[in-house]
Amino acid sequence: MQATLALWPEPPPPSPQPTPPQAEEGAPASGLPAHVEAAVWRGTELGAAAVKEVVPTGWAALDEQLPGGGWPCRSVTEVLQPQPSVCEWRLLGPALRRQVAAGQTIVVVGPPKRPHLPGLRNAGLDDHQFVWVQADTPAERLWATEQLIKSNACGALLSWLPQARPEQIRRLQVCAAGCEGPVVLFRPETALHEASAAPLRIVATFGLDWELRVHILKRKGPRHEGELHLPSIPGGLDAVLTPRLMAPSRLIANRERERADVLGSATPRQAVRRRVSA
Amino acid sequence: MYWAALLLDKPSDAASPHDDQLHGLAVWALQWTPRVAVVDEAVVMEVEASLRLFGGKRRLRERVRTEGAELGVAIAAWAPTSLAALAFARGGVEDGFARPLQEGLDRLPMDVLSAVEPHRPTLARLGCQSLGDIRRLPRDGLSRRFDKELLGALDRAYGLKPEVHRWEVLSESFKARLELMSRVELAPALAFSARRLLVQMCGWLAARHAGVSAFTLHWAHDSMRSKSAGTGGALTIRTGEYTRNLEHLSRLLNEHLAKTTLLAPAGELTLVADDVEPLEELSDSLLPDTVRQGETLREVLERISARLGPERVVRPVMTEDHRIEWAQFWQPATEKQPRETSTVDTPQPTWVLPEPLRLAVKNHRPMYQGTLQMLAGPHRVEGGWWHRVEDEGGEATRRVQRDYWVALSEHAGVLWVFQERLADDIAWYLHGIFA
Repeated sequence: MQATLALWPEPPPPSPQPTPPQAEEGAPASGLPAHVEAAVWRGTELGAAAVKEVVPTGWAALDEQLPGGGWPCRSVTEVLQPQPSVCEWRLLGPALRRQVAAGQTIVVVGPPKRPHLPGLRNAGLDDHQFVWVQADTPAERLWATEQLIKSNACGALLSWLPQARPEQIRRLQVCAAGCEGPVVLFRPETALHEASAAPLRIVATFGLDWELRVHILKRKGPRHEGELHLPSIPGGLDAVLTPRLMAPSRLIANRERERADVLGSATPRQAVRRRVSA
Repeated sequence: MYWAALLLDKPSDAASPHDDQLHGLAVWALQWTPRVAVVDEAVVMEVEASLRLFGGKRRLRERVRTEGAELGVAIAAWAPTSLAALAFARGGVEDGFARPLQEGLDRLPMDVLSAVEPHRPTLARLGCQSLGDIRRLPRDGLSRRFDKELLGALDRAYGLKPEVHRWEVLSESFKARLELMSRVELAPALAFSARRLLVQMCGWLAARHAGVSAFTLHWAHDSMRSKSAGTGGALTIRTGEYTRNLEHLSRLLNEHLAKTTLLAPAGELTLVADDVEPLEELSDSLLPDTVRQGETLREVLERISARLGPERVVRPVMTEDHRIEWAQFWQPATEKQPRETSTVDTPQPTWVLPEPLRLAVKNHRPMYQGTLQMLAGPHRVEGGWWHRVEDEGGEATRRVQRDYWVALSEHAGVLWVFQERLADDIAWYLHGIFA
C-alpha cells in the first residue's frame, strides 16, 4: 500500500480536500428538492444508488466498504493478486455459496490450476453447478468470457486474464451491463498501475493468521485507506485446527528465532570444520 | 379468409424458380398453417385460423416478411382469396385489404391472372388493359367467346366462386437441396447459403412441433474438382438437447464451418435432419415473466465447445476415491452428469496440481517459496492396489501410500503437501493449494 501511494504523488493532496467542502455543502444540499437530492451522488459517499444489484460478500466489514454492499452484478470486478491461485475461493466462496444455493451455475474460464471439487464443495460449490472452460490463449480467454457474459446464463463468472489490455477490459465491462451475475476478473498485481474500466478493483492477498487482506483500489466512492483484515479459514480446515494453530505467524516467528540461534553458533563452525577436513 | 401469396425472387436470367426452391418455401410455410398450396410460380397459404396463435395480423405479416426474406421471398401479398393474393403479388401490391377487393383488383393489369395469358392478344385488341376492363365486358359474351377457365378464374379471384386447392403435405423426413449461385471455395462462405436451408428446416420442425438434435450438411464438389478430392463432404452437428432455435443452430453451424476445410470448391448443398423428436411446447404466460434474456447456458457452452473442442469445456464428476488424482474426473459439459455424488468430509484443497511437484528440502524442511511451516497432519491416504494400468514397461498398479500435511508458506498460501510412505528417499511433494 505504501508503494502505491509513493508512485502517485498527486492523489494524496486532493483526498483530504473533499471532506471539508462536503461539510460546507451540507447546507445547500439540504435545500435541494427531495427527488434531486436522491439522484445526486457525491464523490465522498459510497455510490450505493449507482450499484443496485449486489451479492453480499459474506463479511460485514467488506460489505460496508463496497458500494451497494456486496459484489456488484451487471459490471465486472477486478481482483488483483501478487500471485494467482492463492486465495480466490477463500475470497469469493461465501458469495458463490449463495449463487449456487439459488441453483445457478458457476463458470470458470482459464484458471491457473485444476479446480478440485471435493475441496470446492467445502467452499460451498457444487459439482453439478460447475463448468470449467479450459481456454489457454489470451484471445480464447477473452472470447469465451465475452460469450458467457453476453449470454447472461451463469450465476457467476470467474475469469483469469493475466494479459488483458485496458480496452479489452472496457469491452467486457460494456457487455457486462446485461449480465445479471457477478463477473470477476483475476489479474496480476502488475496491472495495478494500468487504467481499467472496471468500476470495482480490489487487491487481495492472504495473511498468515487465517485472514485475507483486502485493499479496495477503486470504487464508486472515496478512496479506501489501509487494508481490511477478513478472517477466513479455507473450507474444511476449521475442523482440524487446534488453538495453537490459529496463529501460525507465531509458530513461524518461533522457528525463525530458533534457526537464528542455530545459525549464529553452529553453521560457521561447520564450515570451518569442513575446510579443515578437506 | 386471410390469404397470403409468397413470390420468390426472380433469378437474373428470368427463368422460373426451381421446383426445389418452391417446394422448400412451401415446407417453410407449413409452419404457419396447414393450408399451403403451390400455384404456378408462387406459394399461397391461408392463415385466418392461425392469426391469434402468432399474435395478430400485423405481427404475423411482419414475421412472414422478415423470415421469408431469408428464403428469398421477394413479396408477400395478402388478400381475401388466393388468386387475388397471387394477382396482388404479381402486381407488386402488398396489402390487398387496403381497399375493397373489387376496387383493388380492377386496377391491376390484366396479365396478373394466368388464365388471361392464352387470350391476351384478343383481349388487348378489344381494348382491355386491366382486370376491371375484362370484368366490364358482357358476361354471357365472355363465356361464349373465351373458354370457361377465364371466367372461372375471374370469379374465383373476386370471391364469387369457391376455390379448390391441392394442399401441400408435410414430408416425414427433412432433406433439402440448394444449388449455389457460384462455386464456393471456403467453408465459412457456405454459411450464408446453409442458413437458407436451416430456415427451411426450422420451418419444417415448427410444422411438425419437433426439435432436432443432429443434422448433417452435405456439400457436393463441382465438376472441376481434382480427382483426389472425392465427390463431396459432410458435416454432422449435434446439439445437447432437441431444439429448433434457428439462431442457435446457425451459430453452431458457423462455428463448425469455420474449422472445416473444403477439399474442392462446392457447388451444391444438402441439409438432412437426422435425429428428430417431438418437442414439448411451453405456453406463453399471461403475466410478464422474469425470464432471463439471452441464450441458455447449454447453448452458449455448446457454442464455446464447438470452437475450443468439447474436451476443453468440462464439468466435474466426483468418484469414491481418496486418492486426489482419481477423486474426480472431467467430462464434456454437453454430456449428461451422473446424479449421485460422493461425499468427502475431510479437508481437501481447492486447487490441485496436475502432477505432484517435488519440493526442495533444506534443513529437513521442504521449501516452496520459502520454508514451509507444517500445520496439521499427517492425513494418511493409502490405497489403489486394485487399480492396475498397462504401462509401457508392463503392468503397474496405481497404489499410493502418502502422508498428507497442511503446510503454510509465507508467500504461496496454505498448501497440501505429502511425503511418500516407505519410500527409499524421503521426498516432499506439493499436490494442492487451499485457496
